[in-house]
Amino acid sequence: MRALVTGGSAGLGKAFCDVLLQNGYEVTNVDRNPAPNDSNLVHIACDLSDRKTVDKLIEKIGKGEPFDIVIFNAGISATGKFEEIEPASHARVVEINATAPMAICAAMMQAEKVAKNGHIAFISSLSHFAGYPGASSYAASKDALAVYAKSIRKAFKKSHGITVTTAYPGPLKTDHAERHAPEGADAEKRMTPEDAANLIMSDIRKGSVSALPGTAAKIVALIGRIAPKPLTLVMRAIIYRKLDKTVAD
Amino acid sequence: MIRRKILITGATTGIGLALANRLSLRHDVMVTGSRAPEDITEPFSANLTYIRASQADPEKAAQTIAEALLKSGWTRLDNVVLNAGIGFVTQKALDDVDKIRSTQDVNVTSTILIARAVYPWLSKTKGTLTIVGSVAHKGQALFPAYAASKAALNGLARSLRSEWAGSAVVQILHPGPTYTDMHEKAGYDPGWMREIFIRKEPMAKMMEYAIARKHSPVTLSWLRYLAGGSITGKRL
Repeated sequence: MRALVTGGSAGLGKAFCDVLLQNGYEVTNVDRNPAPNDSNLVHIACDLSDRKTVDKLIEKIGKGEPFDIVIFNAGISATGKFEEIEPASHARVVEINATAPMAICAAMMQAEKVAKNGHIAFISSLSHFAGYPGASSYAASKDALAVYAKSIRKAFKKSHGITVTTAYPGPLKTDHAERHAPEGADAEKRMTPEDAANLIMSDIRKGSVSALPGTAAKIVALIGRIAPKPLTLVMRAIIYRKLDKTVAD
Repeated sequence: MIRRKILITGATTGIGLALANRLSLRHDVMVTGSRAPEDITEPFSANLTYIRASQADPEKAAQTIAEALLKSGWTRLDNVVLNAGIGFVTQKALDDVDKIRSTQDVNVTSTILIARAVYPWLSKTKGTLTIVGSVAHKGQALFPAYAASKAALNGLARSLRSEWAGSAVVQILHPGPTYTDMHEKAGYDPGWMREIFIRKEPMAKMMEYAIARKHSPVTLSWLRYLAGGSITGKRL
């Protein structure tokens, strides 16, 4: 059994690689940097913001065997006031979080490199339900991913028996979340990437439409469905008002 | 009535141009597009100022528009309508890599960067930034990358409306299928269905009224049209 994970060298992606390895998968990690102690992983170095290297990645995948599980996990953020974030940072967020995974997914499907009855997963964000003032381009990119998944789901199921799962994790106990959270945010309440990876992986293997890891995420998603506007107001109060700098990547 | 300063992107054809022509009767309107002026084939009001800024290169497009605003001597913007968009139809929900990229560049990255670039002008008047989405933003197997790009704009508008509250209004409008050349350019033949698409002039009217009301998100489809959405409403 073969699995491919993007952004598998740290955070949630690394946790996905670990879970997959424990379950006997041969795991390919697509990441700019190799993972620490990655002797068990096949590492493909790729900067997802660079279209030429993504083209090379697609070519390389096209020459290999199909994957049973593909997890589009790699993502970056850009937090701060929208108008103060550098144009290049906004562009990188869109490219890495949305454009690259859509391009790689479509190319893999065209080359039949996702095995029949396999599983594809996109890691969107809880911001899909809550909005994210203070990371508007990030929120945009994660909404793109969620709706891309929704758009391809039926067709992929019908043509290849492949399931498409969208995961909406909230902030996790990762360095990434730490850097982008406002000053004084309580990291202890956050879920560990290992727990999130286990929960999401079980939804991926079941072929669930969506994965909302943890009770807090489920509650936020529910409120977001019932009262989207008040929830965004809350996000403004607890995040946007406290941001005093811009942070990219 | 004050004479507004308005910028509309992607207004060399379709609903963008219909809106620009309409608003140019009473306001100062600057429009952008990717075409050379001689390639504009639809009726183009003589009152419009045209800036050529292709959104295939998002950073350059934003820069070109900011420079044009500086050069024009405009010190404020009352309305910005980020309307430019492209899309491509797929088979079995499989987009081409190049088309995914160009759809994202034109529809998403350019919209983000132009919104950012016009902020100094727009915030002076506490003006309105209108982003043109699509009813496809909830998902559409016929053109997944296009639907995704419009979902991105919906999410952008939602978060940015909250961020800019107090300094500018941000709204998103989701037009339904409109009788323009977009479908042909997208490689899609809607067949007889095209005849029931809303014409671009009534769509432009509905857009104007929605812009004047500043609500978000707003769906501009048959339901609104039949409810008189293109007849009754507040002019800008």
